Amino acid sequence: MGFLRRKEKTAFEGDGLVLFADVQAALKAERALKRAGHTISLVAPPPRLRKGCDLAVAINLVEQPGIERLFEEKDVYYVAIVPLDEGCSELLDIVQVTDFGNWTMVKAGNMKLSFDKGSGVIVNTSGGGCPDIPVMHAEMIGKKLDEAPKPKEIGFTLCALMLHRALEECLRLWQGSEQK
Amino acid sequence: MMLIAGTVPDKNMPLTVGEIGSDGDYLAVGGHRFPCAQGTGAMVSAALTVTDYLKLNRPTVVVAGDVGEGKGSRAIYEYIIQNVKSLAPRVLALHYWLPDMALTRRLCDAVEKCDERPIMIADAASMYSAKAAGMASRFDIFTPDATEMAFLADPAATHPAYIARHLFDTDITKTPELVDIAYRNKNAPKVLLVKGAIDYIIRDGEIIETVDQPDVPALEAIGGTGDTITGLVAAFVYAGLELQEAAIVAAKANRMAGKYARPTPATRVNKIIEQFPVVFERHLCEWSGECCITGGENE
Repeated sequence: MGFLRRKEKTAFEGDGLVLFADVQAALKAERALKRAGHTISLVAPPPRLRKGCDLAVAINLVEQPGIERLFEEKDVYYVAIVPLDEGCSELLDIVQVTDFGNWTMVKAGNMKLSFDKGSGVIVNTSGGGCPDIPVMHAEMIGKKLDEAPKPKEIGFTLCALMLHRALEECLRLWQGSEQK
Repeated sequence: MMLIAGTVPDKNMPLTVGEIGSDGDYLAVGGHRFPCAQGTGAMVSAALTVTDYLKLNRPTVVVAGDVGEGKGSRAIYEYIIQNVKSLAPRVLALHYWLPDMALTRRLCDAVEKCDERPIMIADAASMYSAKAAGMASRFDIFTPDATEMAFLADPAATHPAYIARHLFDTDITKTPELVDIAYRNKNAPKVLLVKGAIDYIIRDGEIIETVDQPDVPALEAIGGTGDTITGLVAAFVYAGLELQEAAIVAAKANRMAGKYARPTPATRVNKIIEQFPVVFERHLCEWSGECCITGGENE
């Protein structure tokens, strides 16, 4: 008689937590995330992160923007999404600007977006490494800053969120120069 | 075999494995096509220019469509975990995918079971997941840019979006300090090629060489020019160059191709890739020290 071989299962290791005000919200979030195909697990948050109930959902932090959008669509109310590691800082919120003469490049985190100063047309995106970034590269180039799709709306990952921040700063710079 | 793995921006493309071919501005494998643009496409295209120039076997790719939801990424991880031992690649280069720490650990364990361990190269999100999973020291080469170098130096960060502010606020000249921290925390591979206004080539924590000429600032704005460096490194290692030599030659070749293309921030990466054969023709003998590199499997 042979032994049935159990299929190897990978234990999920999340690096982010979704915190909720009550257990019902956490359970609703779990259902919504599993139905959408996200790999997650229900966990007890560490004491320092207890903001409401003692049930949280561990997630792959890189999927934060897609998860936030899903919660909005499914009316899932949550308190916050935070990195699990104690030493982690808040999401990077500073940008760097490079002047290329006729073009401006804005860098937010690991993402860069460049636009034509005169027309406001996006001429390039670079950086990053998550799967939605080449999609946005193809979708955004050639479009005006105020008409291009928003990475936060079509992307799923932290790279997309950084690109969104770069887009917001480009828009601010371009609209500011238009008013002068 | 040189095995390159990564996602492509086509939701409908299934997991596909095979030798890569070119089809105009596209790459072709197993009856599917994907663009030679930012991401895995640019990386594979650059590697292909090297193998074709040196008349080596073309790269074998493991690709799957993924627009950020992760399904294609997980299919790639699982395929490599199940098949890396039987495929026995000499070089395994990992690129765009959704970072997954647990799957990265399983992949690294599967690689350790190979009869002969492949040379492991990672860039983009495969580098993020390798570092986040604590597996960086199992790799041979990473190719980060300055921000990603700060990410490797931040012991707590699992993605460059969460690096500490003081590390992000540094410029490329601070690379030696960041490198030192990353190696102390065992968050770096044997060789690092840090891409920027100055390219740093580091082995086991020691700066071996810097490359800063020709200076083509517009390259930083062009999506895919970091990906091409990774493709060049992988292919030069496959061709038989030592790890650090491959990194140096790749850095020089990418810059020179940029110079020949006379780019602006609006230039597309395929215009840079088009220049590689000319760059190899004019400079490869001089840079590599040999006019016939024969480490890879010849056609």
